[in-house]
Amino acid sequence: MSGTAERMAKNQKQVAISEFFEKNKHFLGFDSLTRSLITAVKEAVDNSLDACEEARILPKIRVQITKIDDKKNIIELKSEDNGPGIPQRSIEKVFGQLLFGSRFHAIRQSRGQQGIGITGVVMYSQLTTGRKTHVRSKIATEASAAIVDIGLDTRKNKATKSNESREIWENPDGSFKEHGLEVTTRMKAKYQKGRQSVYQYLRMTSIVNPHADITFIDPEGETHHWPRVTERLPTKVESIKPHPHGIHLGTLQRMCTESTDSRMTVFLRNNFSGMSTRAAKELLEVAEISEKAKPKSLKPEQYRALLEAFQGERTLNNKPVKLLNPPTNCLSPIEELLIKKGLSKTIDSRFVTTMTRSPTVTQGNPYQVEVGLIFGDGMLADKPVEVLRFANRVPLMYQQGGCLLTKAIESVDWRQYGLDQAGGRGVPKGPAAILVHLASTNVQFTSEAKEALADNSEVLDETRKALLEMGRGLRKHLEKKKKMAKTQEKFELVNDIIPAIAEKSAQILGRPVPELAGSITKIMSAVIAEEETVWNKETKKTDVSITLFNYTSRARSYTLLASWPERDGAVMENNNTGGRKEATGVWAWKLDTLEPGQTYVIKYTLSGLEKGDWTDTDVFFRGSQDVIGATKMDEKLLEEIRRQEAVGTSKEEESSDESDDVEPLAEPEVPPPTGQQTLFGGGE
Amino acid sequence: MMSRTHTNDETKIALHEVVAEMYDKIVKGEAPTMTLPVRTKTNIAFDDKLGVYKYGKKRSTRDATSLGSAKQLLRALHVVEFIEEMIDAGKSSTLREMYYISEAWGLGKFGSQNESNNLAEDLEVVTKCLREDFKLRPEEDGARMIGNLTLRERNRRGEWMRINARDDVGDSGYGVPYNVELEKIELLEHDIKFIMAIETGGMFDRLIENGFDEDFNCGLLHLKGQPARSTRRILKRMSEEWDLPVVVFLDGDPWSFRIFASIAYGAIKTAHISEYLATPSATYLGITADDIMAYDLPNDDLSPRDVEALKAELSDPRFADPWWQEQINMMLELGKKAEQQSLAKYGLDFVTDTYLPEKLAELGLA
Repeated sequence: MSGTAERMAKNQKQVAISEFFEKNKHFLGFDSLTRSLITAVKEAVDNSLDACEEARILPKIRVQITKIDDKKNIIELKSEDNGPGIPQRSIEKVFGQLLFGSRFHAIRQSRGQQGIGITGVVMYSQLTTGRKTHVRSKIATEASAAIVDIGLDTRKNKATKSNESREIWENPDGSFKEHGLEVTTRMKAKYQKGRQSVYQYLRMTSIVNPHADITFIDPEGETHHWPRVTERLPTKVESIKPHPHGIHLGTLQRMCTESTDSRMTVFLRNNFSGMSTRAAKELLEVAEISEKAKPKSLKPEQYRALLEAFQGERTLNNKPVKLLNPPTNCLSPIEELLIKKGLSKTIDSRFVTTMTRSPTVTQGNPYQVEVGLIFGDGMLADKPVEVLRFANRVPLMYQQGGCLLTKAIESVDWRQYGLDQAGGRGVPKGPAAILVHLASTNVQFTSEAKEALADNSEVLDETRKALLEMGRGLRKHLEKKKKMAKTQEKFELVNDIIPAIAEKSAQILGRPVPELAGSITKIMSAVIAEEETVWNKETKKTDVSITLFNYTSRARSYTLLASWPERDGAVMENNNTGGRKEATGVWAWKLDTLEPGQTYVIKYTLSGLEKGDWTDTDVFFRGSQDVIGATKMDEKLLEEIRRQEAVGTSKEEESSDESDDVEPLAEPEVPPPTGQQTLFGGGE
Repeated sequence: MMSRTHTNDETKIALHEVVAEMYDKIVKGEAPTMTLPVRTKTNIAFDDKLGVYKYGKKRSTRDATSLGSAKQLLRALHVVEFIEEMIDAGKSSTLREMYYISEAWGLGKFGSQNESNNLAEDLEVVTKCLREDFKLRPEEDGARMIGNLTLRERNRRGEWMRINARDDVGDSGYGVPYNVELEKIELLEHDIKFIMAIETGGMFDRLIENGFDEDFNCGLLHLKGQPARSTRRILKRMSEEWDLPVVVFLDGDPWSFRIFASIAYGAIKTAHISEYLATPSATYLGITADDIMAYDLPNDDLSPRDVEALKAELSDPRFADPWWQEQINMMLELGKKAEQQSLAKYGLDFVTDTYLPEKLAELGLA
């Protein structure tokens, strides 16, 4: 009997593999000619990034697409990386077997939760062109690279290989390739440009993988290069055990039956995160299961009881059993500075703001939200902003409207932060792009197509909070910009227009050109500070100049203070006007008395920074009269910074690269942020 | 009638006063300024002596404390300089030409032609000179005229030509030039009982085709919508010099009411020269709000903009008299407007056989 059943099951499976593909190609990503190509690139690039991350190698990826037969829509895709390579004997498993891979059961953040992997590409290629996929793989410990053509025996769910041999792999410059993988495959597909394209996919990938160097050669032969902007690899993520809040009945049952633990307390402690001994005992108590019970011999109603205890449906003294949150070191956020750099390299911009929230938990799954916003110079002002969605560093390119991340953006009233938005709802308009990244051990999608995140009010709320916080940074930036524009106008008025009026009127009347100082003082009647922070391409340093103009009829004296990124390792150079350190990240200059019409210029250079690290210097003043373009120093706040410094020196290690001592100064009425860390504008 | 223009020297002196105001302020250590009457409906008042609406006493000071107004002052200086150059060289230019010439004025260049037109008017208002004094010509062409009236126009070669606006012209009538002052046009003689000013070209041509001018012994003047200065000026001259009644035949909508106000009482934008342009004796013939009802004319609903315009007219001092208040309120109540040519509902001859004779009879003109 059982023999027949097994045979039937086997038969079923044989038919199923290719049929399965055919029937499910829409959610495997092969439902249209355009999308098939994107999916193929995606599988190849995801594999490369994951392999490099695993092997702690800074990835260098090259993707080339060539049109082979335009009429028949045959395209060749070649993808090459500098990853660890695959040992010769494993190649057929990786490329020729569906659902192969160790990450399938591990609970941690990983890219490869999508699709069926590179095997799908091999299959699609075979189904549409009848050709095998050519693989070249070199591992560091071997002198030569393995080459092989991989196909699929869809009946047996097994790889077929041919032309297997070894060769020396030379780089184009004649050097030997140390390690890496190259996949060449032909398929029926269509190359398109636009929002859903290979180009866009790689561009988005490069934004959230700032440690990767990606080159793309499009079918027209044009090379697009997104350079690496950081040498720092993503943090190595730890696998975690499932948390009781996130477990399903079937999984629980399987875990029990597969368990070799002798008693339930041990089983619970060993297999779940967030489980203390006390919690394990309490859970068993409310589930009415003996602590000594063998997991293997649990009865069906006991699984259910245990699950109910997990989910707080069975209570102890009317309270659910308290569980610890799962650890969050299984997540790898991109982090603010790197998002900023990633965005800056693909979009030419003047302003980027980012926000990474602290990790948190929903339904037993750790997750973390990151957002970024960039103003692009070349983008259209009257079009909706570009929405860049990512889940675990993987770009989401389809079903934008149905995605939780889009809904979070739409739920924010962006008008209060300075973007256009009809009725305060929907995707805002403006020359900007908004990035949202969800990192989680268990990303919930709306469907198998895995292109849109499913609704979850906790995640939505968390995303909203991140966006709101980021919005405040944006508003602050725009307000400052507006103020600067106004000051600029005043300068144009007194420097250009008034002199022109004086000259022209004198000329028409045939009289001497009058003295202007009086009129200018009257018109401005203010002290103005002008700040300029620019990247000097030649010296590779940041030049800062602060000019103070006294456009009043009286002598004035001030102390000027400026923020600078001392904590980020910047060094102040060529500061010819002296001054002294007021606090970490705050420098002060006590100025001589400034007579009416006089100006004073402070100049210095910051070294040890990269382009885009420091673009705005906040200027503060001490003195009785207001200074346009500077903020009155809040002494209490300065005290606070000094106090924190005193405390901070003892535990500098953990806080030094994340904390932001400059921020609190800019919004003096607000206490320094605790918990959340932001680069710009957060903390309110 | 005296010429209303100024001599070149008078013009220059007046312009220099504007420049001196700015210069003196700078010498005093203050922001340069330009003082001019407020040019909105809140600052027009009826002048009993002249019988037209003029600017009132409200003045505004444009001072150079903001970038926008400072640029305006600089532009004014460039325009003054440009006018002086033209006076000295015996040239003239159109407003549009001035706008393009301003391209070379650097910081003082105009952003749009509207700006340059407004500034020319500002200078007129401040100096009490006319743009003809400034040697500036409008783009707008004057109207067409037909009827048994004779005038003399000096042509480009400086020769006087005698023209009868019935016998010496084609179907399009006599074209009114932009300058209709004494040095250009003399009104000689006529055999008409009144002048009818008409808003649309379609109606003007209808009356000509139907021989209305001869049947009713009148002159017909096509306004071309909001009439140009020269159109209003020649209408005023004919009315005063020949002592002729003027009737105005327009569409029945809020905008036509404004056209009539600018003809009879003076336009807000040109209130500084209302006494030269307005014809206080002009009468509004139609289409009135009650015509729409009485003649059951095909009509359109008032648009929100129409309603807004009518409401604004209620507080416009030029429409303060009871007849206008009644007309405006009636149109608001009706919520309808009608075009002149809607009279064609009753046939092509209805306007000349029935409507106009009935309306003119009320005025004792037919």
